[in-house]
Amino acid sequence: MTATEGVEAVVGTTGTGEPEPIERGTTARGPWARAWSRFRQHRLAFGSLIFCALLILTAIAAPLIAPYGYEETDIQHKLAGPGAPGHLLGTDLLGRDILSRLIYGLQTALTVAFGAELTALVLALAIGLLAGYLGGRVESLLMAFTDVMYAFPSYLFAVVMVTVLGRSIFALVVAIGIASWVTQARLVRAQVMTLKEREYVEAARSMGAKGSTIAIRYILPNAIGPILVTTSFAIPAAIAAEAGLALLGLGVQPPTPSWGAMISEGSRYLLAAPHMLVAPAVLFALTLLAFTWIGDGVRDAFDPSGEQR
Amino acid sequence: MGLAGYIGKRAVRLVLSLIAVSILTFTLLQLAPGNFADLQRVNSGATNFGGVGTESMVGELESRYGADVPVWKQYLIFMKGAVVWDFGPSYKYASRNVQDIISEAFPVSATLAVLAVLLALLIAVPVGVFAALRQNSKTDHTTMFVVTLGHALPSYLTAAFMILLFSATLKLLPSGGWNGPEDMILPVLALSLGPAAVLARYVRSSMLETLREEYVTAALAKGGPRRTVIIRHALRNSLIPLVTVAGPLLAALMTGTVFVEALLRIPGLGLYFANAAASRDMPLLMGTALFFALILMVTNLVVDLIYGLLDPRIRTVGGGSHDGH
Repeated sequence: MTATEGVEAVVGTTGTGEPEPIERGTTARGPWARAWSRFRQHRLAFGSLIFCALLILTAIAAPLIAPYGYEETDIQHKLAGPGAPGHLLGTDLLGRDILSRLIYGLQTALTVAFGAELTALVLALAIGLLAGYLGGRVESLLMAFTDVMYAFPSYLFAVVMVTVLGRSIFALVVAIGIASWVTQARLVRAQVMTLKEREYVEAARSMGAKGSTIAIRYILPNAIGPILVTTSFAIPAAIAAEAGLALLGLGVQPPTPSWGAMISEGSRYLLAAPHMLVAPAVLFALTLLAFTWIGDGVRDAFDPSGEQR
Repeated sequence: MGLAGYIGKRAVRLVLSLIAVSILTFTLLQLAPGNFADLQRVNSGATNFGGVGTESMVGELESRYGADVPVWKQYLIFMKGAVVWDFGPSYKYASRNVQDIISEAFPVSATLAVLAVLLALLIAVPVGVFAALRQNSKTDHTTMFVVTLGHALPSYLTAAFMILLFSATLKLLPSGGWNGPEDMILPVLALSLGPAAVLARYVRSSMLETLREEYVTAALAKGGPRRTVIIRHALRNSLIPLVTVAGPLLAALMTGTVFVEALLRIPGLGLYFANAAASRDMPLLMGTALFFALILMVTNLVVDLIYGLLDPRIRTVGGGSHDGH
């Protein structure tokens, strides 16, 4: 890493503003180890990683952790405030435990977000690698298709897709995934275009490696850093998209909880029961911030000089 | 390539993209299971706008498109209407035409968006300059941290926090609806914070760059008052790159209006779009979706043109400034 003064000035002010020491004379470790050690020095990102790991564990173990089922109603305690006996965060209009609904809502949010980004990533990798590597007519065809999709405002597309596919987790995964792969595909292609001119790819080709081998063994591993960066920023975006669709009444079918639907419900009973809005809004904000900070950390780890976005 | 040629080429591309979007939307919506009438039959009794008149609506649809007309022909009929600004009647808001709903609702959304942009600029420019002048200080880091918060949270979540603060706790402002000017405050505030964060970041880094330029040093060396130099020489030039973010920013703002309008029950285009999707009011959904796409594409085109005028190098490349959403 060549650290000129200019670079240093930028590095000193990345994202969250924590000055980062520039590593000099790091011994011969792989790029992954270097990225990981840079990530760990990013305190906010590392803390967020732990927080998000806990969130993921909570979502997986939701039935064990949630004190009640998400549909279970406690008719005796409708609209109970926080701290009511047996209901730490209170209950909603039907007497359902808000903490339990938040935990199951977390499950919905994370399933949709990770599913959607996986879908987007697979699509983007397939199309981007194909286009970037094959070139010629295949490339112009695939890229024309990508351009059309790019012109389609992604949330309009997501809304239309949910209307077509119905209100299920699967529909949301497909809708949000398809709506967000385009940016990724363009990035993959751009990466492939630069990487395929590199000497080591040239060398592999001259030694008779097949096109698919070159694409998967030599180009993909080196394109993965930037792809990982956009993907990690895409996760909070997908979480926000799921909640947003639910807010519009296009999320998962009730009574399956979603934070977006809880926020919209809470806003309607704002004066009678503000706790219905506070709990999901705060948890939602924390989750988004944590995932965004992980993205910041990943970006700084792979590209210490960049201050994009 | 001359400017006229560039504009022409972009306009053709815009029309082609719009046609692609309309075909895609129309085809997808044709595939959607269940129509408005079905949904009304299921819901009737449960909702107040229940089953009345749905049969006549289906009849009207058939008289508009003709029964048993193939899908591609239906599409052509729809587009023929769309070109002359006639989308036909809405299902949900019976007796109202889609184009009338759009012309009534769009000014509401546009007002919110324009006010939000202005407010965002009012916040972002001073904050960005302030942070740049105190680069790497505690104030700089704190400001930029707050900016990250504004950037990461979607506008509807900001709106949720604002109604908690201003409506539920302080009881100062209404928590939604659209009855008077006081109803504009919360949505505009909520919509402006995200763009303000993005803009502040750009102003800061652009300002840092211009402050290092020789003409700024020269102006300071000549003994110009620091304040004048900063405002007249540095700030003015560092605002030009802001045009590049305007496109994605306006797009994000449009998206924001949909959700903020839904949360705060503001009868703008976004609310009608969302309601149309939820109730499968296909004419309204098609109409509003196409209109949204048109607005976004025209905005992007205008932004690119302005940028092309400011920086002639762009024209030869013919590229767009719309990276990221």
